[in-house]
Amino acid sequence: MVENVGAGLTGRYLLVLNEDLLGDDAAARAAVQEISGMERVVSTHDGTAPVHPTLFSELGVAVADLSADQLAAARADRRLLGVEPERVQRAIGLSEEYLRGFRDAAQFLHSRVAGTVATAQFGDTDKLTWGLQATGVADSPETGAGITVAVLDTGLDLDHPDFAGRDIEARSFVEGQTAQDGQGHGTHVAGTACGALAPTTGRRYGVAHEARILVGKVLGDDGSGTDADILAGISWAIASGARVISMSLGADVREVSTAYETVGRRALAAGALVVAAAGNNAGRASGDPGFVGVPANSPSIMAVGAVDGALAIADFSAASTTVEGGQVDIAGPGVDVYSSWPEPRGTNTISGTSMATPHVAGIAALWSQRTGATGQQLWAQLVQAAQRLPLPASDVGSGLVRAPGA
Amino acid sequence: MPEQITVSLADDAIGRIDEVVTALEHGGMHVDQVLRPIGVITGSVDTQLVRALGSVAGVAAVEPQHTVRLPPPDSEVQ
Repeated sequence: MVENVGAGLTGRYLLVLNEDLLGDDAAARAAVQEISGMERVVSTHDGTAPVHPTLFSELGVAVADLSADQLAAARADRRLLGVEPERVQRAIGLSEEYLRGFRDAAQFLHSRVAGTVATAQFGDTDKLTWGLQATGVADSPETGAGITVAVLDTGLDLDHPDFAGRDIEARSFVEGQTAQDGQGHGTHVAGTACGALAPTTGRRYGVAHEARILVGKVLGDDGSGTDADILAGISWAIASGARVISMSLGADVREVSTAYETVGRRALAAGALVVAAAGNNAGRASGDPGFVGVPANSPSIMAVGAVDGALAIADFSAASTTVEGGQVDIAGPGVDVYSSWPEPRGTNTISGTSMATPHVAGIAALWSQRTGATGQQLWAQLVQAAQRLPLPASDVGSGLVRAPGA
Repeated sequence: MPEQITVSLADDAIGRIDEVVTALEHGGMHVDQVLRPIGVITGSVDTQLVRALGSVAGVAAVEPQHTVRLPPPDSEVQ
């Protein structure tokens, strides 16, 4: 029953209740009772000031013993923002134990530098791409259901079997072309953001597998598009209720565009988060850090950098500049990314900040589904939940995007 | 020579976007799209007339349009 005893853990779990239950002692008590199976939930609201309350009503936090089944159910329970093992906390001081920990950490770092300890190394398995593993998507109970994600790119292979039966609205902003993808890029990024839980063949590669998908074709079959087409796509996405707008596109222009910044700001105000690829103009092996271009360099558009399976920065991933808004905000898996591709090929493995961006977009949809957050609030949640990496913030922003419940 | 441009409206002009469109047309702009949800107007104008459009009431910025281009689909980095 108790799996997390030892290593500074008590064997119990902290249940973090959602905002609806915060302040409603009776409802909170009932929820905790149901989730934990406890007969009696002692609340801090009980007049007798119990020594060991199980529900901290004012904090919206409860402590409970959970079986493995209860733990799994609790992790998927929408009334909870999080479930985590209760830790034994100690005051920070130079205790014997602290010094022992310090010694172990120093030894670890030394052996890592000496090359005897492997760094993180994710790889695709039969079931999952490395990106879904590294970002915790595989462990997240969220699906993107009820959330609309817009992918503005070269369109989608609308006959691809992995998208059969999905709620898709497609529209082309490229003159003389339908939304059908004649290039491949759009089908790949849409696959990462919103691909199926169980594809017709091979491993899972998609994040928000129950999201509604808006396919806006803003880049033609030759892979090029104008600001006019892209802005028209953003406008349509907002008007169509998109909560997340994924743009794996950009130009190598350092100066911020007033149009994109204004649009990013208005999108946030309308409850839509725009995420864009930081750019692939770096050549780090030859000492060129590159720079974040338009539109990702707009302060109100989230710029996404790319990391590889060892969680190291990708050689091509553009670094922050001193232009206001020219910073990388977050990173996603962007090297050797397997996803859908127009038939008959079906799938393809490629690299780029273009591939990192839809990981962030799909995970943003999961967060929005879990917490109801939109716009600026959703931005804050993504950045706050990102896994910090031992890399410069100028390369990866706040770190690797992380799915809720992971 | 006509030039493709993007015009961003000031926040306080969003409610009267049609008036701004009319003023831009008077200034020589050929309007292609009026994107109401985001307060942006796209179109073209003769290069000599671009600067004057920036001083039309309700306009926050006039910028030349860029073209973005993906690498070919068989390239390793996208």
